[in-house]
Amino acid sequence: MNRRTFLKATGGALTLAVTVGCGGNSNAHRIQHADATGELLASLYITIKPDGRVALTVNKAEIGQGVTTAYTTIVAEELDVAIDHVDTAYADSHNEMRDTFGMQITGGSQSTAQGFGALRHGAAAAREMLVGAAAQQWGVAASTCSVRDGRVVSGDKSAGFGELTKAAARMNVPAHPQPKARKDYTLVGKRNDRVDARAKATGTATFGIDFVHPHAVNAFVIHGPRYGAEPKRVTGEAAAKSRPGVIDVLSLPFGVVVVANKFWQARAAAGDLNVEWSDGDVKGLDTDAMQKAMREYKDGTPEVIDKGHAKRAIAGAAKQVEAIYEAPYLAHAPMEPNNATVFVDGNHAEVWAPTQSPTITQAMVGHAVGIPPQNVTVHVLLAGGGFGRRAIADACAQAALVSKAVKKPVKLTWTRESDMTQAFYRPPYAVAARGGVDAEGSITGVTMECISQSIPLSSKPMMAGAIPPGIPAPIAGMFVDALMAMFRSSSIPDMFSTEGMANTKYQFASYHVGATPVQTKLPVATWRSVGNSVTGFVMESFVDELAHAAGKDPFVFRRKHLPMNNTKQARVLDALEKLSNWQPGNQKAGSIARGMARHFSFETEVGEVAEVEIVDNRIKVRRVFCVVDCGLAVNPDVVKAQMEGGILFGLSAALDQEITLVDGVVQQTNFDTHPPLRMFETPEIIVQVLDSPDEPTGVGEPGLPPIAPAVANAIFALTGKRLRRMPLQRALNEGGAA
Amino acid sequence: MAMKLNVNGKPVEVDVPADTPLLWVLREEVGLTGTKFGCGKALCGACTVHVDGAAKRSCVTAVGDVAELPIVTIEGLPEGDVLHPVQEAWIAENVPQCGYCQCGQIMSAVALLRTKPQPTDEDIDAYMSANLCRCGTYPRIRKAIHRAAEAIAAKAGGK
Repeated sequence: MNRRTFLKATGGALTLAVTVGCGGNSNAHRIQHADATGELLASLYITIKPDGRVALTVNKAEIGQGVTTAYTTIVAEELDVAIDHVDTAYADSHNEMRDTFGMQITGGSQSTAQGFGALRHGAAAAREMLVGAAAQQWGVAASTCSVRDGRVVSGDKSAGFGELTKAAARMNVPAHPQPKARKDYTLVGKRNDRVDARAKATGTATFGIDFVHPHAVNAFVIHGPRYGAEPKRVTGEAAAKSRPGVIDVLSLPFGVVVVANKFWQARAAAGDLNVEWSDGDVKGLDTDAMQKAMREYKDGTPEVIDKGHAKRAIAGAAKQVEAIYEAPYLAHAPMEPNNATVFVDGNHAEVWAPTQSPTITQAMVGHAVGIPPQNVTVHVLLAGGGFGRRAIADACAQAALVSKAVKKPVKLTWTRESDMTQAFYRPPYAVAARGGVDAEGSITGVTMECISQSIPLSSKPMMAGAIPPGIPAPIAGMFVDALMAMFRSSSIPDMFSTEGMANTKYQFASYHVGATPVQTKLPVATWRSVGNSVTGFVMESFVDELAHAAGKDPFVFRRKHLPMNNTKQARVLDALEKLSNWQPGNQKAGSIARGMARHFSFETEVGEVAEVEIVDNRIKVRRVFCVVDCGLAVNPDVVKAQMEGGILFGLSAALDQEITLVDGVVQQTNFDTHPPLRMFETPEIIVQVLDSPDEPTGVGEPGLPPIAPAVANAIFALTGKRLRRMPLQRALNEGGAA
Repeated sequence: MAMKLNVNGKPVEVDVPADTPLLWVLREEVGLTGTKFGCGKALCGACTVHVDGAAKRSCVTAVGDVAELPIVTIEGLPEGDVLHPVQEAWIAENVPQCGYCQCGQIMSAVALLRTKPQPTDEDIDAYMSANLCRCGTYPRIRKAIHRAAEAIAAKAGGK
């Protein structure tokens, strides 16, 4: 066996298969390759070059989360080389690299949690092969050899990695490689510079939108006023086509496309066109009416969790609390607008895109132009932000259709307006919460009735992507249809809608969670922290309401209901109380009040205290304290950056952002109407990354969920008003609840 | 129409309509892709360049209006192999995450430090709020600007 599969259970909920060793490379192939090239194919991801440098294939997209830095650090640590001794490239679509949810995908804050196991075992195996080769050549025991600075050393003998590759290729891949003990780390767990900072500070980093295919033409898309609208009649084509550089004007199901040599030529020519559109998929969709219907929904909701007799326990409690929380559609709005370069050449396609998932890209491009997904090769480029949006390969599918029509490679670039109005949104929610506390201030029971638009029902392409390669298309199609039907009938619960609620760390005496999926034809998708972006707000706002009803301090009350025996929850609460110098019973000082919240998501616990002031009716968040336990922090400064990023991404949504529709038309079109936070409203953020005994867990998303409830709880401490609907500024403007 | 531009100290000839945004001329005609497209409406600052020493949003600047003026992009900021102190500060503070907005942020920061060599937090907030970042790097940008200001002052004092 030269390949090993490690199964790792995370949270009992999902199983990951992580491959180390020489995936796809037999011993014979490895030796042949080493003899021909001088390269040691140490594992699917790690190659030792003849000059001794280490080439690392990163099977994740760099969307800013720092995966390139983390993976490089892990490999450099195990191979005892400097971080700048490792060169990285992003993996193309590859069947043996579908290591997350059966796909190649960057999501679920999985990258470091998962790569830590796979890469350090793979690198440790490479190191043992290099050491074994040196020991054999020198006739010494491997135990006498040490590795430093890219060399194997024993006594007065020394050889660089590059000198050992051919011999090392002849060694057996160790079945049980021994990675270093944590106490021996010199790079992992330390602050190191990001490996991508220089390229990104000099303009030399190539994002998807910067990719230039030498033979590509450019495409500009005019999308209709409503999602799914198709062009019925186009006028002005002659004028558009007479402009310099314009090659063609195409009417395709998703819009009217101007094809030109340059993007700006196409963009300018689009101004000549007038388009009549079909109604599309969502005419009549009105978010105010939809939100009202969700808020007032009274029928029984399919049950997700039912522990004890929560309704009875609440009815019999000394105090009862009821509240309805709401959250709107949101756009991801990454800084780099959606784009892709695709060449459809007969029965094959090649894609260059800033994608979070080669597998979903293969599925969507294959489906769009009617070729098998396996015939689509995907090259992953740097992404100017992801946040979940780039798991959807809609721009790739569009570019593929254009390429098929013009029979050339096509680079297709959206405007910001298309990016905002043709997005796959964070689903809207209404959650009816009820709870009771007894005379001692303990929670007797909680019920949550959660109504939200279903991501699975909107995710047929993703489901299709997860089908293993080699399954005939008709069977795969039937399987996906059956899966969708089960989601529609709630036979399978929607795993996203109540995450962070159904699997809460709170130990309520009795607990009921129901979830009703809503379906519209406006597509929704995973948005940074997914369900947790809302359930964190609901759970932590409601626990704060219960604490207030019980007359307990928020920290004291939470400790009473969370597992406190050497847990991440205990460590974070203790550290946060200290870091923020929390004063029980004294949340308000002058014009500023404090609120706290904590949430466990992606196996990571984060607690935050927000200090909030209201000036001229504007919510001003002045300072945020944040404590995170994400297990071992491979690079604590990158973890800190992700906490800062999660807090600010979450704060933009908590305070101001929402996507609204009137008669199916999205009302927000650019950064002026879907405003991200700007620097002048950015609070001071103080982050403490705990020194945790656990293995690495998620980092990209868990910083986000606690910020909205921490702010809302601070506003309650300040004003006595509960703001139960995001965005909070609009809720405040409309009066809030006393 | 054919026109002569001065980009990063070099003459460049382009043949485009005079109302073409400078952003797309830089990206598609001159081949400098460090200047980014973000919003197309001067709302995000990802396209910030210097025209005659001042920060400009190139997505709303017609190329015909700047044909006679010196234009500097992120690619023109280093002196030879030596990065600008603002770029060095960005690396030292681990500022970039996705990095897409950072060239525009850096161009704005350099312009700020020209007019305010020792900016306060308020100066930085007021000036830099025209540049958006979705990754949330603002706290580090603030720090990096202070660091760069010190580095520039130390260099000037040392001369």
